[in-house]
Amino acid sequence: MSPLNQTDNKPLFERGPSLGTRMVLLAVLSVAMMFLDHRQGHMENVRRALSVAVYPIRVLVDMPSTLFGWTRETVSERNRLVAENRSLRMESLRQRARLQQFAALEAENERLRALMSSPAKLADRMQVAEILEVDLDPYRHRIALNRGEQAGVYLGQALLDADGIVGQIIRVSPLGSEAILISDPSHATPVELTRNNLRTVALGVGDVSRMDLPFLPNSADVRVGDMLVSSGLGDAFPHGYPVARVSRVERRPGEPFARIEAEPTAALNQSRQVLLVWKGGEAEPAAAEQLPEAPPDTTTAADETQ
Amino acid sequence: MSSRARANHWPVFLSLLVALSLEVTPVPVELTAWRPPWLALVAIYWALAYPRRYGLALAWFAGLVLDVLKGGVLGQHALAMTIATWLTLHFHLRLRVFPVWQQTMAVGAVVIAHEFIVFWVDGVAGDATLGWDRATPVLAALIAWPLLAGVLHHLRFRLHMPT
Repeated sequence: MSPLNQTDNKPLFERGPSLGTRMVLLAVLSVAMMFLDHRQGHMENVRRALSVAVYPIRVLVDMPSTLFGWTRETVSERNRLVAENRSLRMESLRQRARLQQFAALEAENERLRALMSSPAKLADRMQVAEILEVDLDPYRHRIALNRGEQAGVYLGQALLDADGIVGQIIRVSPLGSEAILISDPSHATPVELTRNNLRTVALGVGDVSRMDLPFLPNSADVRVGDMLVSSGLGDAFPHGYPVARVSRVERRPGEPFARIEAEPTAALNQSRQVLLVWKGGEAEPAAAEQLPEAPPDTTTAADETQ
Repeated sequence: MSSRARANHWPVFLSLLVALSLEVTPVPVELTAWRPPWLALVAIYWALAYPRRYGLALAWFAGLVLDVLKGGVLGQHALAMTIATWLTLHFHLRLRVFPVWQQTMAVGAVVIAHEFIVFWVDGVAGDATLGWDRATPVLAALIAWPLLAGVLHHLRFRLHMPT
């Protein structure tokens, strides 16, 4: 180690462009990229290429929580597992009992539809995807998923959890994808009330426990506790999945619209797994190919239809 | 330059990779606003340590990777990192000889510029939220910088990297 460090001394003659020039060049390049990305959407190829390189970082960051869950499963006591197993079996029994009724209703529905000669509703295909435990931008409600193009995920695909609609896919890369939650301030969900089929739009406000319904007049027939389901308009979400429950109705005589708030039914910030929905039989994902890399607990439910 | 081609680059890339991971590591909701801009701090450190070797281009590219990782507007953090590194390089001769607390304050000023650009681009892209949680990363950076500089300095010393 020589005491004199030759490389970090300022050379007598600067080679190449000066520091200021390089800064301006890179800044202009960044601004051009931002413009092309945000206004034009031309940078998808660059993003795709980099996202493949970035995916390992996301998996790496996700690893501690996966490991924690795995450890807890492995070392948890036998009788706790047995109890959990028993309660799950009971739950499954209850669900299946309800499903029997559902099958009869479905048959009846189909007959009625046939009578009215309207097209039969196709069942939606679903597949489980895991949310990577990664904090994306804190000012937006986005999540990263471990399913991408190789699983047949497509742009605009709807996401559900056990209780309702979670969001939709906004970015797909070969290995993973990103989704926007229905609570993001820039997201709007077309909904209808189950009680009277009143159609409107539910906007996210950046709070996972609240959505706004700003476009309903004071005279609208809305009550606290009304269920909002997806209306299927706009082709973003399949029809008839629960979205939110009306939590507050304030009629303001001086204003053209009432202030109505709703609480999303899905556990937006708690679920670890979500369901990807393929609308009524279109887009066949190669479900068999995913079995190797999927964790064992998700594979059993990986290919169910509803 | 040719003799430096064999120089040790892996501590730099490894530290940048760790910083990228720390940028998206899940933390409790109350602490999300207190996440220091790790990647910017690490880039500032290496720019101060080897101003002729790790400069603007590396910072720009690291910022671009961070944009993809966070899923934001492509170029947002690239621009912020470029400006922050440029400020650092412009004042590096003074910054290097500062005592720790003074250096921390100067780095804080650079981080303010970084955060401002991130906020500005958010505003242009239409996602701006203005609140106290825009200022907390700067305070977090003030706390994180002496620790980070200490750790990386120790690492450099242990690895016999030229100082």
